[in-house]
Amino acid sequence: MAATFRGVSFDRLRALARKEFIQIRRDPRLAMTILVQPIVASLLIGFALNATVSQVRLGVADGSRTAESRDLVSALGESESFHLVGGYASSALLGTALGRGDLDAGVLIPVDFARDLERGRRPTVQVILNATNANTAAIAQGYAETILEDYNRRRRLDGAPAAPASGFAPAHSGSVQLQPAFLYNPGLVTSWFIVTGVFGLLMVLDTSIVASATMLRERETGTLEQLLMSPAGTTEIVLAKFAPLFALMCVMIVTVTAVLRLAFHVPFQGSLGLVWASAALCILCGIGIGTVIATFSRTAQQALLTAFFVNPSLVTLSGVLTPIEAMPRWLQPVTVISPITHFVTIARTALLKGGGLAELWPHVAALAVLTLVLLTLSVWRFRKQMA
Amino acid sequence: MSRIIAQARKELTQLVRDRRALVLALAVPVAQLFIMTSGISLSVNDLPIVVQDLDRSAASERLVDAFRSSITFHVVSWPDARQPEEALMAGAARAALVIPEHLGRDLARGRATPVQLLVDGSDANTAQLVSGYAQQVTRAYDSAEHGGGAGQVLAAVRLWFNPGRSSTRFYGPGIFVLVLSIFPALLASLAMSRETGQKTILQVYVSNISAHEFLLGKIAAFVVVAIAEGLLLAVVLRADFGVSLAGEPTAFLAGTALYLFCVVTFGTLIGAAIPEQAAAMQVVALFGYLLVFLLGGLIFPIENIPIPLRWVSNAVWGRYYIEIVRDAFLRGGGWAAVWPQIAAIAGIGGVFYTLAWSRLRRMQLAV
Repeated sequence: MAATFRGVSFDRLRALARKEFIQIRRDPRLAMTILVQPIVASLLIGFALNATVSQVRLGVADGSRTAESRDLVSALGESESFHLVGGYASSALLGTALGRGDLDAGVLIPVDFARDLERGRRPTVQVILNATNANTAAIAQGYAETILEDYNRRRRLDGAPAAPASGFAPAHSGSVQLQPAFLYNPGLVTSWFIVTGVFGLLMVLDTSIVASATMLRERETGTLEQLLMSPAGTTEIVLAKFAPLFALMCVMIVTVTAVLRLAFHVPFQGSLGLVWASAALCILCGIGIGTVIATFSRTAQQALLTAFFVNPSLVTLSGVLTPIEAMPRWLQPVTVISPITHFVTIARTALLKGGGLAELWPHVAALAVLTLVLLTLSVWRFRKQMA
Repeated sequence: MSRIIAQARKELTQLVRDRRALVLALAVPVAQLFIMTSGISLSVNDLPIVVQDLDRSAASERLVDAFRSSITFHVVSWPDARQPEEALMAGAARAALVIPEHLGRDLARGRATPVQLLVDGSDANTAQLVSGYAQQVTRAYDSAEHGGGAGQVLAAVRLWFNPGRSSTRFYGPGIFVLVLSIFPALLASLAMSRETGQKTILQVYVSNISAHEFLLGKIAAFVVVAIAEGLLLAVVLRADFGVSLAGEPTAFLAGTALYLFCVVTFGTLIGAAIPEQAAAMQVVALFGYLLVFLLGGLIFPIENIPIPLRWVSNAVWGRYYIEIVRDAFLRGGGWAAVWPQIAAIAGIGGVFYTLAWSRLRRMQLAV
């Protein structure tokens, strides 16, 4: 390695870097990609992708039509989680409405509901959920069960139906009362998870797209040969090519951080320096990925199709939008090869939980190793192509 | 008609000649469908949880056992000396259950006993699932301990259309749409922008082919490619994820034909408008990918999108096709359920075709 660095001249490096800067400045689309696109993308994704389950459309078939059953229905209707669409005369009608997709959930109250309650039996209320979307169904089930639990608690307390009241009633004797406390995000803001993921996604993907585009252009216009004929060595060309791109992409780190803070109010609990350093590593990874894609393809069409395969797969495998633990077992170990995986863990732990290097060093180390591997690979491919 | 077929044959020949691009055009969509359908899921079924049992009575052990034996949780060991919060910080667990001292004694005396559950809220959706599942476990524990009270309402939960709560059945069809939205459009736009970029369009202009024939030929060729891709994808969905058509397929087939026409026409339109391949590609990617992914209701419900953006989603063609495909694969509602969506796709496709035709109809270079 030392031998290759011997011939490096800083004058030539500076001249080549200046040429890259001028090229970048002349290309307005590139500036857009670096400045406008990250802001728009993080805002759009952060606001549009929202897993919150609220206002679940609920239909009720009340076979009992008594004070007790109406009390239960109004408890369901008053909750923020459900939106009471209407009552249905029979279970069959409720079923058709669910099948048509007019409802997300239905509650069937049996005919002998009130009588069973009076006699101290335990009537069963059917809660039917449209489980097409498994996630929404699971969360809606939790809501419905909590409301029923509150209803039961109120009955135990009063011995008779009372007006539906919100807030906590003391539990009945001898039961375990689970008290969930949500650490780090007491308001359960879903966008924090998404936008911290998008941060990593933008760093790696945007850089790789720009890097492969500049490489391909140089080759297609034939200016790569001109560079080769110049007295500059390959190391100089590679360094001069990557350094200005890296510097420009670092601007993006600051822009995205500002969007996270100002638009989404992400709490910055831990070390911002650690996050920025990891983001810088991500940019280097992006340069590596972009160069490798560009050098492996013969035409722009091939490079684009390859990028269209690599990028979404990387995003899927990185826990950007969905948790890695939700993936099948065999797929989970594969996620460590994506730099975005490590970055999002670092960003979430540091920004949201206030964690530091003590918890995060394995991810920082993995990111550094990946950067090294990708950069080595890209420099090797680049040299091979120029030889 | 014969000129349309000739034009379509020319396109296909050109595509087949670039072997690598052809392989990419057929293999990449399949690989992507496989990876994304396997990888995308919001329902975590194997949640690591730390349990700190400060009581160590028979009752508390039974509670711990209830969590240990549940399918959704797996209990990770964590030294009692360390704070349970540290496990959340280190990412070793999603939640920590802290059982207080005297739980067994208090329960035996008939007191309501609070048990704290610390949940990692940094992923809000999973946090909600964790607390819901944990409540189910403690509720089951309670009723097992003392049979529940008399005069209590029980809930019997029925999951319709997807009783196994499988995520792939929901996301698989969505990703099928995503992949079909992007690759055919991409190929069509690349072919069209190459024609304008390399000026071969001039040869078309001087020939006696009309704008309609030229467009229809081009579109037909890429619809054929898209149908091949779609068939491959459907086979993968069925073979690997067990997702297949429910109910009668004519509505789905009609919707698919119209949708592929719509997507390919969109690609052709962009290719005709933007002669530079990379730029055309970026526009197609923006609309095909980002909009379908973000505003099509692919992962997260459309109802959660804030209002002005939700209006935009009405113009996103992929959104309608997602509804058609989900209906066809999951509910099987047929024509009655999806005819408005099919009409919407036909309308949007018609607009794209008119735009593309009005751009090319003079068959002359724009001055």
